[in-house]
Order: sequence, then C-alpha cells, then structure tokens
Amino acid sequence: MTVPLEEMTRSLTAIVGPEYVRTELFERVNYADTSLPYDVEERDLPDVVVHPGSTEEVSQVLRYANQHGIPVTTYGSGTSLIFGTKPKHGGITLSTKRLTDLVIEEDYQWFESGAGVTIARVNTELEKRGYCLPINVGSRMQATIGGAVSVNTCGHLMDYIYGKPVSNVLGLEVVLPTGEIIRTGSKTIRRATGWDLARIFVGAEGILGVITRIRMAFYPKPETADTVGFFKTAEDIGRAFSVMLKKKLPPILDGEFASEKCCKVGYEAYGLDFPEGALAITQSMGRTSEEALANAREMERFFRAEGATESFVLEDPKVRAQVWGVRENAMRWGKEKGLKGYQAIEVNPPLPFLTQAITELNHITEGRDDLIGQTEAYLYGHIGASSLHCLFAFPYEWPIEKMKQVVREIWRLEKELNIKYDGVGGDWGQLPYRVPFYREKYGEVSYEIIRKMKQLFDPNNILNRGNLEGEE
Amino acid sequence: MEEAMEPQDQVQMENIQEYLMSQLVSCEKCHLCNTDCPICDYRVTQGSFGINRAIYYGLKWNRFDTELRDLVYSCTTCGKCVATCKHVSRALPLVEIFERAREFLFVEKMIGPMPDQRPVIKNIFRKGNPWGYPPQERTKWAEGLAIPFASKERRVEVLYYVGCTSSYDPEGQKIAKSLVRVMKAAGVDFGLLEGEQSSGSEARRMGETGLFEHLAEGNMKMFEEAGAREIVTGDPHDFYSFSREYPLREKGVRVEHSTQFLKRLVEEGRLKFSTPIEKKVTYHDPCYLGRRGEVFEEPRELIRKIPGVLLVEMEKNRDQSDCCGMGGGRMWMETPKGLVSSQAIAQKRVRQALATGAEVLLTACPFCKITLTDAVKAIGAEKSIQVIDIIELAAMAL
Repeated sequence: MTVPLEEMTRSLTAIVGPEYVRTELFERVNYADTSLPYDVEERDLPDVVVHPGSTEEVSQVLRYANQHGIPVTTYGSGTSLIFGTKPKHGGITLSTKRLTDLVIEEDYQWFESGAGVTIARVNTELEKRGYCLPINVGSRMQATIGGAVSVNTCGHLMDYIYGKPVSNVLGLEVVLPTGEIIRTGSKTIRRATGWDLARIFVGAEGILGVITRIRMAFYPKPETADTVGFFKTAEDIGRAFSVMLKKKLPPILDGEFASEKCCKVGYEAYGLDFPEGALAITQSMGRTSEEALANAREMERFFRAEGATESFVLEDPKVRAQVWGVRENAMRWGKEKGLKGYQAIEVNPPLPFLTQAITELNHITEGRDDLIGQTEAYLYGHIGASSLHCLFAFPYEWPIEKMKQVVREIWRLEKELNIKYDGVGGDWGQLPYRVPFYREKYGEVSYEIIRKMKQLFDPNNILNRGNLEGEE
Repeated sequence: MEEAMEPQDQVQMENIQEYLMSQLVSCEKCHLCNTDCPICDYRVTQGSFGINRAIYYGLKWNRFDTELRDLVYSCTTCGKCVATCKHVSRALPLVEIFERAREFLFVEKMIGPMPDQRPVIKNIFRKGNPWGYPPQERTKWAEGLAIPFASKERRVEVLYYVGCTSSYDPEGQKIAKSLVRVMKAAGVDFGLLEGEQSSGSEARRMGETGLFEHLAEGNMKMFEEAGAREIVTGDPHDFYSFSREYPLREKGVRVEHSTQFLKRLVEEGRLKFSTPIEKKVTYHDPCYLGRRGEVFEEPRELIRKIPGVLLVEMEKNRDQSDCCGMGGGRMWMETPKGLVSSQAIAQKRVRQALATGAEVLLTACPFCKITLTDAVKAIGAEKSIQVIDIIELAAMAL
C-alpha cells in the first residue's frame, strides 16, 4: 500500500466522518469472512472499512483511493455465499449500507433506491401499494438491491415472467473508480434504446464502478397458489419440467424441487409422513386468488399426468410451510448438521438436457476417487428456471488444505458440467472462481475485451482488484 | 470473584472453549441472523452475525480485548437470531453461545462483564439485588398488605416470587401491588419469601454463572423449606430461569408467569372482572416470556377476558415481536460508542405500538414497562399512549 494506514484513515475520516471509518480487528474480520468453508486469515482483511453516506462521499473515497492506488472492495450485505466481497489485496472495503433512501413513484411505475436498501424493504413497501419487486432471492431479508443488480440476479423467479434486473433497471447512478459520477437510462417505462450504459454495469459484479442508486420497474403483485408434486425420483421431476413449457400451461412464477436425499432429511427433520422420493413445488399466479387456485389445480393435473405419485394444492398454511421448509432449509440442519456444509454449485442445462443433468448430479459422488467422492451431495434448485443446485457437505474436521482442495474440485466440476450441458452457471457473484469457465466457454477474445473494458473504466485497477483475475 | 481458577474451573473453561468452537465452526455465514436483530444498524458487526464471528476469530487467534467484549455484551439475548437460524440455516443456539462466551470472557479472560455491570454483579452477590438496596427492605412494598411469609409453619397454595425490580422499583412495585389485589380478590392463599433474593437470571446473562448457581442453590433451599408447590412470578426473566434453568419441574414444582396464572384463575371461575375497561390496547411480548419462554397466547387470552378491552396487534407480534432493548444485562450498562442504544431499540418498539392507534401499550415484564415508559417520554408521546403491565390492567378491571 502506498499510503500509511494512519494517513489513509485521516483522509477517509475527513470525507465520511470518524464514526464511519473503522479499523478495529473484528470489524475488518466481518467484512472479509465469506461463506467459504474455510476461515479467513489475517492477511485477507481490509485495512479499513468505510461507510459513506452519500454518492458524493463515495465519489470522494474513490477519487482518493484512485489517486493513491489503494484497492477498494465494494460490500453490500455479504450474502452472496461466495467470496466476491473478500478483499484480495487489503485496502479499503466500501460498504453501501448507508445509502438507504427509497422513493416509490407510482405515477411513473418505478422506484428509485440507494444501493444499500434491502430487497425485503423494497418489496414490503411495494406490496403495501399492491406491487412486487421482480427479484426474489433466498437472502432477501439482508441482501441489498445494489448487490442483486450488480450480479444481475432475479433469484428464484422464472426468467420469462419479469426478466432479470438487466431487463428491469431503467437507470443507474454509478461512481466510476476515478471518482466521476454518471447517471444512465431513462425515466419512462420504455428502456433506453441503443447504447444504454446501465446495461454495462448490471451484472458487472462491481468491477467497473460502484452502483449507488437504482431506478427500476415494478409489477402488479399477483395472487399466488402453490402446488406440490411428489415423484419417485428427481429425474422424473426433470422429465416433467422439460416438457412443461411445451404444454403451454399458465405461466408459473417459481418452480422448485428437492431430490430424494434432501426430502428424506427434511421429512425426518420435520417428522413428516410424505410419500418417499423427490418433490416439486410450483407457484401459480392469477389476477385473483380464484384464478391462481385454478391455475394451481392445473399444475396438480399436470404433475399427475407426468407420473407424480401424489400431488395437491398447498391450501393448508401449516403443510405449505412444511413443504417449503423441506425444500429450503432442512438439509442444513437435519442429517447434515454434523458436517460443516458445503460448497454449492449451479448448473443450468437447456431444457432438452435437464433430465440428463439431474441424473448425473443426483449420483455425482458415486464411484469417484477424488475428494468429491467423500462428500455428501444434496441436489435441489429452481427447476422452473432450469437452475440446479448441488450442495456438497463435508466434515469440519477436515484440515484447511483438504477443504481448499475439495472446494477447487467442486468449482472445476461446476465448470465442466456447465460446459458439457451448455449452461451459464449461477448468478450469485461468483466472478472470482468463474473466470476459467468464462474463458473456456466464451474464449480468450471475449475475456480480453472485458479486461480492456476494466482498464478503460478503472485504469489503476483499484475496484474489486483480483476478482477479474480469478484470485481467491 | 477475581481469584485464580481451581483446576476443575480450568477444565470447565476448556469445555466452554471447545463448545464455542464446535458450534461456531458450523456457521454457514449467511448473515441472515442479523435480520431484525435489535442491535443491528448499518454495520455487519452490529448484530448477531458480527458477534458470532468476533467470538470465533477471537478464540481462533487468541485475541481478547474490549472490542470483543463490547460486541459480546451488546446482545440483548432476545432470541430473534435463534429463531431465524433455525428457520433458514444451521439452527445454531446463538444466545446460548453468546452467554457462554460471556462466561468465558468473565471467568477465564477477566475482561467481562462491562464496566458498569461489575458493581451490579457485586450487589447481586452481596445484597441479593442489582441496585445494592438493603435486603431487609425488599418486602417493604408489601407493608400493610397483610401478606404472610411462606414457611414450614405457614404453608401457602401459591408462592409469589416478586423479583428484584418489582420489589424495589416504584414502577415495578405497582405491578406487585396489583397482583396482590387480584389474587386477594380471587381468594388465592399466597405468600412471599421473607428471605427472597435475586433468581440469578441477570447474573447468568452477564456471564457470572457461578453466582447464578450459588443463588439458585440458595433459592431452591428456600423454596423447599417453604414447601412451595407452585411459584408465580410477574418477572419473565425470573420465570425463564425458574422454568428452564432451575430443577423445579423435576421436583414437581409448578412455575407460572402471573399472566398464565390469572388466565387460569378466570377459567376456573375464581377470578371475575366486573369493571369494563373501554380501551384500545396493544401487547408487547417480553422476550423472556414470549420467544424464550414460549408463552404467547395466555397473556392475550387474559387481555381478551377483560370486558371492554379491544386488543390490536402490532405488525411484529408473538415470535416476531421486537425487543425493548434491556435484556441480557443491558439494563445496567451504557451502550459503548458506535453500538445501538437501548433507548433507540425501545423507541422503535413504541413507534410500532403508536402505529396501531392503541392508547395503551401493555406488557408483562417490569423491565419492558420501565424501558418503554422512558421511550414514550423521550419521543413525547405521553398524551398518545400509556405503558402498563397486564396485571395492572387486570386490577383495574376488578
């Protein structure tokens, strides 16, 4: 680092005020520790954590950092379940959490919010007015809108309903690494035509600028009704969903599944007497609750026709909570509790390969002589969006080096499967470990274009340094 | 309390360290425990997740200092994070972990509790109450009320354990006197303990487990000598300790919070309310009665049995109820700089109550009553809402 810590702290304090510049050890630990199964080391910590309270302050912090070549890692809420927010070269961690203003413009049909507003808060405020946010991530209670836009995730929702944030962001305010503030996009419900700089920053995972403010479209909140289908195997669910769209059924908002192993753990954990095998859940929509219910019944008939051993609409709130609990949580605290958890992957096969990919992932640990073969694997995911997650769990007694090795094996496996099935991988901010996938799938020319764009926006490579280089 | 440790204590401390590491190593690091954590603000460190990680790395790197202490003692022990972790992640017993960490910092590292809490613990040890009031004045509030002391010679149907706050604090004493009125109206044969002392609940929350055990032993002996078969208390912190941390159930002693007890008296036909109270009220679940004690419905059922009362719920109620900010030993500490103050937490809760349009904010805990009353004053809402205990309302309705 080119500037002594004391001097850097003094300069940053002059910008944001003393309360918002933190150098305490445990403060820095909290902004470095990510969901990697192994711990951070002291050398992984940022030197200082800064909490600017306005776009102007963000600009001044970046201008200062750029002037002195200090690395800056942007931090929303740290929920991305991967290590994009872990500083690779120390320096400043810049939190967006104080950028919390939220304005809902119902006449315009969009909202504007600071990057640090949680997804849950945006959604709650929209719901009060009968609208919904076209993003639904599992970490919505903590995850920020800035983070979701930055990685371009709509979470569990099916892409074809509302699209991803890149389709819904109408404009952005961005601070460039050199400190300039730019504003993009339009205020109409029609997205900007031609060159729209907003689209460059959405999904850029924070390497080109710090998104400080977002203008985004919202939608009327639909009524929903859920249907569960019990199938003998996850492969059967794959077969059903691979033809679902061809049946031209009423569109579903969300389609989820849990494999046989997840269900077994979940049923045991909750003490449930559901049919053995795997389960699928769909969320049907309607303008009225009657319409949603009728559509859910259509899904029930579809599941039965596609070989479900049992299917029904989740009208009882208690049973509904149990079924969703099996899908969302139980594998974490059921049988797997004695294991540290996990490294999760995401594979997105095209529909014709959905069943084949499920079959492969459902038996992924069998007959392997690498460390993956020594893990417990749990297959689940957002099958409506053709998004398959596999969670690999292993004992926390494993030495760190062994954990690091298995994590690398798992990432390699994810890359191989996405290449094999022509998938795109997940959208939870995995840039640092997805670089090899990107280079193989899209080629060196594509990767070089991104590197050059990075250089154009960030000549001193201060922002999220190390992520585009694929550093851990 | 600051002497060199005995070998058995050393073993115990190693066990605590092992326990903490074995639990915290399995944290998924999803951050969702910070959701709705009352002390959470714009920093990750302000909240359950930050405390959890600070303990883990403090142990791992052998770094124990006042920064760590301030974080560990900032938790109100409200239990919201425990419910969240169970619902969405690894079901870590986070409050238990934080309390054990406090014990470790207190006994092994001698950097706990918080400076303001040190005299409080001494007072509990020497005087049997956190403020250091004379023990002989503990039952002064009951003078003239003709309440017997339970003893070998004078057995009672119900032993009323008043608790420190309702024994000494004027606001708490109003609750105690109200309960006495109601029990007398219902013809309950009840008595007090002449030598009543702290249950030790707050000492345990501050990490002084040894003092808690010492007090629990003394109290158990007094309960046995008094022949207690049923203990009723209006203090949820004592209720929690008696029902979860004392071996009372094993000895066949029934423990009830005063709201549970009165609700039962009404159902048994022993208690009748004849004065309608035409008021719109809302109810704040005390953390140690609700989330931690798992008593959610009985207080509400009791409120509904009072004629004329209209109960409206706050948006956050029952297991989702927000904290008043004073649990976990925070009643006796100044909030360290940069962490969320108890007043801010209480004011947030009062604003939620005001949003319901209720004219009375009911609670069932002397801590909550005191804290929320202060918050009402601080935001200048005295003309809009009044804070009282359910027991006081019940006494008005006799």
